[in-house]
Amino acid sequence: MIELMNVKKVFNAGNPSEFPALNSVNLTIEENRVTVLKGPSGSGKTTLLSIVACMSRPSAGRVKLKGREITSLPERFLTDIRRKTFGFIFQQPNLIKGISVLDNVMLPAYPLGEQRLHLKVKAMKGLAELNIANKAASKVEWLSGGEAQRASIVRALINDPHIIIADEPTAHLDTKLSYRFMEIIEKFKAEGKTVIITSHDPLVFESSMVDRVVNLRDGRIEDKPA
Amino acid sequence: MRQWIEKQRYIIDFTISSLLRRKVKNFGLLALYTLIVFMLASTMFFTYSIKKEASLILKDTPEIIVQKIVAGRHDLFPVSYIDTLKKIRGVAAVESRLWGYYYDGLVSANYTLLVPPANGDTSGKSRPSAKTTVVVSESGGQQADKSKPLFELGGAVLEPGTLITGNGIARLRDIGKDDYMPFRAFDGSVLNLRIAGALSSQSELVSSDLLLITAEDFRKLFGIDNRYVTDVTVAVNNPSEVEMVASKIRKALPEARPISRVEILRTYDSIFNWRGGMMIVIFSAAVLAFVIFAWDKASGLSAGERREIGILKAVGWETSDVIQMKFWEGAVVSLTAFFTGVILAYVHVFFTGSIVFEPALKGWSSLYPNFELTPFVNLEQLTTLFFLTVVPYTVATIVPIWRAATIDPDSAMRFTGE
Ligand SMILES: Nc1ncnc2c1ncn2[C@@H]1O[C@H](COP(=O)(O)OP(=O)(O)OP(=O)(O)O)[C@@H](O)[C@H]1O
Ligand SMILES: [Mg+2]
Repeated sequence: MIELMNVKKVFNAGNPSEFPALNSVNLTIEENRVTVLKGPSGSGKTTLLSIVACMSRPSAGRVKLKGREITSLPERFLTDIRRKTFGFIFQQPNLIKGISVLDNVMLPAYPLGEQRLHLKVKAMKGLAELNIANKAASKVEWLSGGEAQRASIVRALINDPHIIIADEPTAHLDTKLSYRFMEIIEKFKAEGKTVIITSHDPLVFESSMVDRVVNLRDGRIEDKPA
Repeated sequence: MRQWIEKQRYIIDFTISSLLRRKVKNFGLLALYTLIVFMLASTMFFTYSIKKEASLILKDTPEIIVQKIVAGRHDLFPVSYIDTLKKIRGVAAVESRLWGYYYDGLVSANYTLLVPPANGDTSGKSRPSAKTTVVVSESGGQQADKSKPLFELGGAVLEPGTLITGNGIARLRDIGKDDYMPFRAFDGSVLNLRIAGALSSQSELVSSDLLLITAEDFRKLFGIDNRYVTDVTVAVNNPSEVEMVASKIRKALPEARPISRVEILRTYDSIFNWRGGMMIVIFSAAVLAFVIFAWDKASGLSAGERREIGILKAVGWETSDVIQMKFWEGAVVSLTAFFTGVILAYVHVFFTGSIVFEPALKGWSSLYPNFELTPFVNLEQLTTLFFLTVVPYTVATIVPIWRAATIDPDSAMRFTGE
């Protein structure tokens, strides 16, 4: 369970360009549920996700993960939690150019020092599940947008995270692949994982898999229930 | 522990692939770095060996060498002068020497031809046996241990019509004992000499280009008649009288140039001083280049690198992992550059006769026409070089990474896909 209490995020505080991206967000995300964050562009969805996933700290307020306050933890612990608990699928694929798809996918596992062979098998399995196993040895710059997106999904899952966070995961996927993605989400759910997705895509937020849709506008949660 | 090793392996792998990704930039960098190490190491090897060599040579140099000078150039020394020399007070002994160089067009090599003293012209006191100690100061004199003979003839007897070859020549020409070796004499005739044996030597360098030949054949080959020798050495009774004896020689024989050991020392000294000065210029230029280059490295991360670090952090790398990666990057680059540079410098100084420095060393040719250094490497120097290059560079690569710690992982989310 993830709890956000009075979370605020102000960018460039003190500057003329100061911008409050999140205003007192209170939100509880249940375990083993699929939650969708919906809202217009610039409403603070990505900002909220990055706070939930321990990638940035709120300017004010508290975040609890399984009852444990994480806002004030030192960076090291945050990284550790991030890498073991969260799988993050970015709005852009954010792959590292010049190295192979396989290497990219294995990247999050490097600091854990897992056995190489084991890791490789896991990575190949992940790639196969998303039908890009044949691209394993390709350089990422040769991939199409959708392939890159799928590679980044495999990368997010490599450490077998308990909570999956996806920022506009279907933005670069066609309808068929979007459905495929939702199937994967369903599988996660079946495995007992927690999923948080942001999306404008009706295919996502109207899906039967989704347990809850949260509306965000101007850095606030709109109270009308989904 | 195993995990830690595995992790380092992953990080090193990733580092190397990162380096290869920016091939042009990194190879340029590596080349520059290697060049700097090469210059530094060459300078170090060179100055150290030359000093070492000089001290060895000087230990064995006769107190005075007397050459005849015509128009400022070394000329054949008339045997008749020897008596004049002997009459000078303070002179203990005078020995004549016959030596020269022979260019073998077949293998494009220069040989040093030397008449062993026992076979030399007999104006001085003669040496006892054929198995003798020869001081080859004129060919570089790499004598390491004075108590041992520089080379041994191994029982071979040198008689007219024969010669004894250095092992280098034997290898080069693929010849051995009892083979014949043709020489083109001064008048165009061919002189066929039988190889009586090969030299065994503690130092390959001493013997490799050396040919021992009888005085008779030497004269035949170069057309030097009995009235001349190459030069003479003079021993004095009292070492403190060297200068005095030398000036007496100059007076008695205006055409002769006595070179005292002190003078040779002084020549070395001045050579060291201004050559050394040049070396210092080269050295400091290289150090300066290195500092600028390390600074350049230290002063920034490219946008691409920042982006990558952002991604790595976002996918769960810690700041310390990123620093380790950068550490390995610095270590891989600087160790590669260090070892390549040092090996190249070694080859350069000890096998190619410091060709890069040649213009600066031209002055040596009057003393050592055949300039080759014996490899003397000083571990302490290498360590110094290591700490002067590898360590600052590696540190310089890590430093900007402290700044990378300020790259928030969430910055990765804001990069617009290029
Ligand atoms: N580092 C930053 N500095 C200043 N402003 C920022 C920063 N990051 C985000 N913002 C601003 O915060 C607001 C929320 O951004 P966010 O990325 O969370 O929006 P979003 O809901 O994800 O939008 P989209 O649907 O377009 O992805 C935006 O107006 C953005 O310009
Ligand atoms: Mg967004």
